[in-house]
Amino acid sequence: MEILFLLIPLSVMLVFFILGGLWWAIYRGQFEDIDAEGERILHQD
Amino acid sequence: MAASATPLTLLDDPQEWSAFSRPLAQQPGCWESSVVFEGMHCAACALTLEDALRQVPGVLSVQVSAASHRGRIVWSDQAVKPSGWMQAAQRAGYRAVPANDAFANERRRSETRQALWRLSVAGFCMMQVMMYAWPAYVAEPGDLAPDLAQLLRWASWVLSLPVLLFSCAPFFGNALRDLSQRRVSMDLPVALGMAITFGVSAIGTFEPAGIFGAEVYFDSFTMFVFFLLTGRWLELRLRDRTAGALEALMNRLPDSVARRGAQGEFERVAVRRLAPGDVIRVLPGEAFPADGVILEGRTLADEALLTGESRPLPRDAGSAVIAGSHNLSAAVLVRVERVGNDTRFAQIVALMESASASKPELAQLADRIARPFLLFVLVAAGVAGAYWWPHDPGHALMVAVAVLVVTCPCALSLATPAAMLASAGALARRGVLVRRLQALETLAAVDTVVFDKTGTLTRDASALGEVHTRRGVSREQALAMAAALAQHSLHPVSRALVAAWQGEAPRPDAWAAHAVQESAGQGLSGRLARTGKMAVGVPARLGSARFCGVDRPATDLLHACLSDDQGWLATFELGEDLRADAQATVAALLAQGVQVLLLSGDLPEAVDRVARQTGISQARGGCTPQEKLALLRGLQSQGRKVAMVGDGLNDGPVLAGAHVSFAFGPAVPLAQAQADFVVLGDRLGSVAQALLRARRTLAIVRQNLWWAAIYNAVCVPLAVLGWLPAWLAGLGMAFSSLLVVLNALRLSAAIQPVETV
Repeated sequence: MEILFLLIPLSVMLVFFILGGLWWAIYRGQFEDIDAEGERILHQD
Repeated sequence: MAASATPLTLLDDPQEWSAFSRPLAQQPGCWESSVVFEGMHCAACALTLEDALRQVPGVLSVQVSAASHRGRIVWSDQAVKPSGWMQAAQRAGYRAVPANDAFANERRRSETRQALWRLSVAGFCMMQVMMYAWPAYVAEPGDLAPDLAQLLRWASWVLSLPVLLFSCAPFFGNALRDLSQRRVSMDLPVALGMAITFGVSAIGTFEPAGIFGAEVYFDSFTMFVFFLLTGRWLELRLRDRTAGALEALMNRLPDSVARRGAQGEFERVAVRRLAPGDVIRVLPGEAFPADGVILEGRTLADEALLTGESRPLPRDAGSAVIAGSHNLSAAVLVRVERVGNDTRFAQIVALMESASASKPELAQLADRIARPFLLFVLVAAGVAGAYWWPHDPGHALMVAVAVLVVTCPCALSLATPAAMLASAGALARRGVLVRRLQALETLAAVDTVVFDKTGTLTRDASALGEVHTRRGVSREQALAMAAALAQHSLHPVSRALVAAWQGEAPRPDAWAAHAVQESAGQGLSGRLARTGKMAVGVPARLGSARFCGVDRPATDLLHACLSDDQGWLATFELGEDLRADAQATVAALLAQGVQVLLLSGDLPEAVDRVARQTGISQARGGCTPQEKLALLRGLQSQGRKVAMVGDGLNDGPVLAGAHVSFAFGPAVPLAQAQADFVVLGDRLGSVAQALLRARRTLAIVRQNLWWAAIYNAVCVPLAVLGWLPAWLAGLGMAFSSLLVVLNALRLSAAIQPVETV
């Protein structure tokens, strides 16, 4: 059970790490214009 | 502050005004501006903004729509500059962005990004806090070591902190702003609820022996923040789609376009700098930025949003293209003819903007209820908290939180405008523009539809048939004389005569008419002279036999007479083709239990024929506009709700006299059409569709209002009694707002078009 004392703080840090990744994705515009990527194959150029 | 003050004063330059304002014709020196407000969250905000702006001297009228976040401001340029009222909006805690401004898109993008980012932070932290809360729920007493339980509470606290400080920031910001201005808005109870929950839990974490005990509510806290933000996020997305047709229209014009320079080279310039006469190159996929004529190339154009015509239309060299339509297949060179506010596109946008800012009566009622209702909620929460306090302080505060969070005046105030905007947007995509949202409410109650004939049930491009002339006058000559007069009118018969003349004998220099006066629905009078001669000309009349003062010709076809000072000169017979969907539309209206009438100024025989063909049982011909109006008044005095369908020009007073009016016909200048609905395409079926849609809209508005009322009536007592945990309250509120918006969104779906026979 002692390992929980290490794992719980680690999980807190993991959440912050994931949030960092999400921040990058959102502010790089990954979630904007989601349809356009799917339609791109239909365009000629 | 200094950085944001500079762009505001930039807008004081009169040259910038036309980008988001237009001068009012009725009041010289007055401008009507369209702006988007940021920082608005509910109906109470719209009222506050209106109050704040009205207090600025020089601002004449203000309308702010809670659903679309758009506002319409009328101001006088002698008393105030745009920066004046924009700063007033800023002092009230909102930011006004000129609509149609390139900045608006950019800012909206960063607003959406931030909303998504706040939602993600709340979501991820919520999931992890749930994990930490799980052991406390399932562990048997004694299973969970006290130091481990304490660690879990600590970890929950650490992860709740970003939710409180970052994700909840907009709620706190708005609540503080409202408090400092001594008013109430939806965010105040919510922010109070959040602060109390987090406070109780933090004390429980750090002082387990305190008055609130060791109980923590971090899971409830993160959960309802997440639900609220999800609700807001989806609302934001749905609102963008609801106002979608409007946005799609306004954002239709490109920012820049390739213009041909003096040496034949192309350079990209801002669309605002285009002038008539410029030659531009429009690539496939681009929208035409101005009205113009194609010089080189052939392509297909998509004009669906402007005329309701869903098929791509072929456009060759020499044919006209309209701003806002899309170039589909090939690059073309276009000579610009009209730009900016002169284009039909700009007129449509102006119509849509003022419609979306108008407030239907039902919505005004909801706005007035919202504020006292919020005060009631605050009091109820306080009473509930005080009642439970002696029993268990921690529980008492959570009951108060549940009351604060569960109430939802947003659902109440969104109920009407969301549905009406969705409906107006869907109608606009099918070529029907709504000038006032209130008209949708009236249209739903209509039980009688009155049609005009020429240009409405029949096509206005009537074909010229036989021409009977006075001895010694040739067909060409009579036609040229008639066309010279007819050029001054937009009446369908006039347009048909001009078209026939251009097709048969295009000698533009033969005759000229001056001092032309139009008697609406009857005819034209003026003086005709051969061009090039300094003659006073002969007085001439073109129109009905009665108007020209001649005997009625022996024909039951649609016709026009031409007379001069010697009496009858010629009679033009016009073949009429019924619109393809006229019969189906009348049948569809009758099937909906609507009475259909036909009133026309034409010959009774011709009117009867059209009535028989379309299946209209009550028809009356030979009416003057006054007679039409009297008949309309008669119907209304019998308690009927009457909709009038006309071409919007010749029957203006009749249209104005009806409860609801439709202006029909592609050639109607939009600014002149004084109708509640303007049908852009040439499908008559749009009228039946609009009626169906209005009825569905009102049904959905009623559902929404009932839902909001029942939800609050049930949930507030439950919360006061302490039967509703805080997380469920958050879920309930988000769900309730969303349900209202989603219900309204059902209106965007297509209604089966009237079958064309």
